[in-house]
Amino acid sequence: MKNISTASKILSALVFVSMLVALGAVFLYAPMEKVMGDTQRIFYFHVPAAISAFICFFLVFLGSVQYLRTRETRWDRLALCSAELGVMFGLIVLVTGPLWAKPIWGVYWRWEPRLTSMLITFTIYVAYLMIRTHGTRSGQAPRLAAVLGIVAFANVPLVYYSVDLWAAEQQLHPPRNVGLAPEMRYTLWICFAAYALLLVQLLLRRLDLARVEEAVERLRQRRDELADY
Amino acid sequence: MSFWQRTLAILHKDLMAEWRTKERLSPMAFFSLLVLLVFNFSFELGGAALHEIGPGVLWSSFVFASLLGLSRSFADERENHSLDALLMAPGDRSAIYLGKMLGNLLFLLAVELISLPFFTLFFNLSPGWFLLPLLCVFFLGSACLSAAGTLFAAMSSNMRLRELLLPLLLLPMILPALISCVEATGLVLDNNWGENLYPHLKMLAVYATVFIALSLMLFEYAVEE
Repeated sequence: MKNISTASKILSALVFVSMLVALGAVFLYAPMEKVMGDTQRIFYFHVPAAISAFICFFLVFLGSVQYLRTRETRWDRLALCSAELGVMFGLIVLVTGPLWAKPIWGVYWRWEPRLTSMLITFTIYVAYLMIRTHGTRSGQAPRLAAVLGIVAFANVPLVYYSVDLWAAEQQLHPPRNVGLAPEMRYTLWICFAAYALLLVQLLLRRLDLARVEEAVERLRQRRDELADY
Repeated sequence: MSFWQRTLAILHKDLMAEWRTKERLSPMAFFSLLVLLVFNFSFELGGAALHEIGPGVLWSSFVFASLLGLSRSFADERENHSLDALLMAPGDRSAIYLGKMLGNLLFLLAVELISLPFFTLFFNLSPGWFLLPLLCVFFLGSACLSAAGTLFAAMSSNMRLRELLLPLLLLPMILPALISCVEATGLVLDNNWGENLYPHLKMLAVYATVFIALSLMLFEYAVEE
């Protein structure tokens, strides 16, 4: 396998720089929120992570549909790698949320619609990864995972709708269209950009890794075939 | 044979097999009663707890019982290698899904109707006509469970560790429907249904429709050899 390409190195450097800029913007440039104080700054990590998670879940869906249509391994690879990243970004959301909630709401967790929906969606994709790792024999894994990737994505709106119905009166999560001061809005955009770069770089590196894994698997099968002779 | 004839043939086969062996319905019903008992001792339930956790206990017992039944619905086919024969039959394979799904729906409804008298007994609930809408909730809730469950049972029947994986697949996916089942059942038990019940029934109907439609499209890929 070839070494890390120059393009990838440049992208890594870009991610590093953009993350530094984002940190600087969040802690030095963005003004202090009047009511919540410094705690509000978690928002700049929380929201981009949530959006990145849903982009990943959409990529799982896209990869799954395309795999069933074309049966090309690259689409399955995209679905698997996106699911892993989606779970990771989901975890960031689920960790940063309670950290913010403790000082603001007084408790780490409430069974509030946005939190509950995110948690359920997160568990669905963890189940997806478990099925992929533990459940399937080689050969059938991509096909079954693709079915699951499609069903999981179709389930997301149902989760949101039902949870809203269940606990509509407990809605405490700040609304999505909250008014922001211009500096706050710019900071948020910088964080979006940093997270987008991080997402692209992690996905590309993970796809490379998946290719190497597949190559190793092929070599192992070849060795076993030769040993049978 | 038309699509519906094939669907009904599968349903008829499953019902006949169950009638002769009785290996799904009685364990499912008994298991659901055992879950009610376990909850009773875990939470020291009584009449007072009915409105607090009664609906949740009832639906937990149904979900666990359905897991037993669902895992059997394709296990027999696998053990007897009859799934291959079913798949080789000409025509649309989604008829297999629909037949099995209707079978699971009927088994689950039967289990629910058997459990309900025991539930009213354990929770000191005086039965009455106000419980009638519960049948509608049971029907829609079971449709959701069997719609998603049959697809996942078909998928997991082919996997390693299948008994372990079916709950992992089904439980998170069924949560949206389960929330509405529990809420709707609570409203009926409180004799407080009316406008509040309708959104939950609508949610269940939408969930069941979405999962049946998706499964009809994807079943082919879930069982392909």
